[in-house]
Amino acid sequence: MATFVVPQAVPLPAEDAAALLRAFQGWGTDEQTVITILAHRNASQRKQILLEYEQKYNESLIQRLRSELSGDFEFHQPFSVCLASMQHAMYHWILDPAERQAVIANAATKCIQEDYPVIIEIACTNSSAELLEVKKAYHVLYQRSLEEDVAVHSSGNLRGLLLALVSTYRYEGDIADTRLAESEAKVLHEAIKNGTTDHDELIRIVGTRSKAQLNATFSCFRDEHGTSITKALPHGTDSPGYLRALRTTVRCITDANKYFAKILRNATRESGTDEDSLTRVVVMHAEKNMKDISDAFQKRSSCTLEQAIAKETSGYYRTFLIALLGS
Amino acid sequence: MQQFLAQASSNGAASPRASASPVHLRPQPKREKEAPPAAAAAMADEHQELTRAFSGMGGLGVDETALVSALGRWRRQPEKRTQFRRSFPGFFSLSAGAAAGIERCEDEFVRHLEAEFSRLKDAAVLWAMHPWERDARWAHHVLHRAHPPPVLVEVACTRAADDLLGARRAYHALYHRSIEEDVAYLVKDANANLLLGLVTAYRYEGQHVSEELAKEEAKALAAAVKSAPATTKLLVQNEQVVRVLATRSKPQLRATFKIYKELQGKPLEEDLAGEPCLQEAVKCLDAPANYFAEVISAAFKDDADKQAKAALTRVVVSRAEADMDEIKDACAKQHGSKLVDAVAKNTHGLYRDALLAMIGK
Repeated sequence: MATFVVPQAVPLPAEDAAALLRAFQGWGTDEQTVITILAHRNASQRKQILLEYEQKYNESLIQRLRSELSGDFEFHQPFSVCLASMQHAMYHWILDPAERQAVIANAATKCIQEDYPVIIEIACTNSSAELLEVKKAYHVLYQRSLEEDVAVHSSGNLRGLLLALVSTYRYEGDIADTRLAESEAKVLHEAIKNGTTDHDELIRIVGTRSKAQLNATFSCFRDEHGTSITKALPHGTDSPGYLRALRTTVRCITDANKYFAKILRNATRESGTDEDSLTRVVVMHAEKNMKDISDAFQKRSSCTLEQAIAKETSGYYRTFLIALLGS
Repeated sequence: MQQFLAQASSNGAASPRASASPVHLRPQPKREKEAPPAAAAAMADEHQELTRAFSGMGGLGVDETALVSALGRWRRQPEKRTQFRRSFPGFFSLSAGAAAGIERCEDEFVRHLEAEFSRLKDAAVLWAMHPWERDARWAHHVLHRAHPPPVLVEVACTRAADDLLGARRAYHALYHRSIEEDVAYLVKDANANLLLGLVTAYRYEGQHVSEELAKEEAKALAAAVKSAPATTKLLVQNEQVVRVLATRSKPQLRATFKIYKELQGKPLEEDLAGEPCLQEAVKCLDAPANYFAEVISAAFKDDADKQAKAALTRVVVSRAEADMDEIKDACAKQHGSKLVDAVAKNTHGLYRDALLAMIGK
């Protein structure tokens, strides 16, 4: 379930656009107004505001937001870091869900050796139809396909895995064939036992089977070998990226909410807030299923997600995230 | 066959295309002692025509009109039918039926007829079907009957991105699996990775092309081709090659192939002669019309097998509303004759009419 809230009586897009313009005028920006409006509009409403603003004021709202929130003002020096985070979050929030993920995916392909988990998240936690929308948006934005960019920036087993995950159009049915699950669990076990050199079969299975079938396979694996597949995967030093990618893939497919909750827990640790991950998870899910992720977060923490965010972030960045979480 | 033709042509009958059917199907010259030469010749003509109508002299399909007219003409004349049976040893066997005093039907020929009679049915049903369902059914058929992969490569590479996706959706609905699952599970040879990549591609469809990238990838392909003989792996298993073919947009690939030809002095397809699956993929991606023209002319050859013949229906039905004009041009270039003429010459009956109607002027 989504967490962000839209007011009962939504102002017309023209009114919102005018209010935003007022917020930009004068010295500095009225961030509160910006948040109050944009954090409480759904994707189609946001799109209408964008169009209205551009039509009326002859400039792109996104560009204006970026410059207004860039935090380069001397005036705002102590808060410049928070504003950069807020700008980053707001920029992603204002796009529609498919475009947003396309932009995030594109950024990830540029440093794919570190950011491949982002690609895996997008490929594995969306439905087949949603992933297709992301790929279509990517075509429009970048005149290339996501597959091309993923393939070009990665190599070896990691490329094989990422490309398979990103290209597939999984069957979405609920039915799993138990016999097939058993035989494929065997194949996975063999592949893992033999090290990482011959993972073609494994990648093919993980990259093509429906999620229901894969979950059945992972269950069979656990029943047969007493340990979950993620624990069975070695933490070897050769191609560590690939092995970690495999683990991420399995986690995303088995329980996406638990996976994102873990990302959030890691991001809001006392030892330093990982704002990129925090922003990404909240902004990507606020209008989708943030509630479930929030619940999963709370199950394994001593506090709610709002409390954790309130503690670890500050300024308008915090205000924006909390607004997206529906408080 | 030649004797038969000589006899027929000496009486002014039009001689059909030579030796299109296997030896055992060719009718023997008749031995008519009683009838005068003119009547014998006329009967020989009738038999020849009826044999051709029954697809006994090559060509695809059966001539329904001629069959029906023979039924009418020989009404209440069983002796005519007897003579016909005796003149057609490919269809009827005197020796096999001798004990029972009949000219027995050869089962093999009856099976041949089943295929020929059903060409119209296949064409009509496929024509009526949604293109996505057609493609999904062909893909499924090919995967599960272990036919060689050309059909799969054809469907994956010649359809527009959204049509390939539509076919994949149709596959979900029909078979409750994704096409990629079945390819991954059922294709275990060296071509597996290429086929999987081609079938799961959702290519960018815009015209934007990067010349620099095309140059780079043409060089990479050339290097791969050069080093292939020295390695134990086939080119189709080369990661670079598969990556380029399976992810780049078609305009980008065509630019790459063009530069390859300039660099190497010959087209990439020629360098792939030893790897048919890879060669097909390149042909389909580069110039589908030429590929389809080749498939069509292969269906008319004497040694065409069942799949090659069925390909005629498949290509005409699936491309009638796509790039049939380009295919006609390609046929004219490749063979110097028009596609409609080749089809008219090599097919019979309503099947021929159906094909010509779909091909258009």
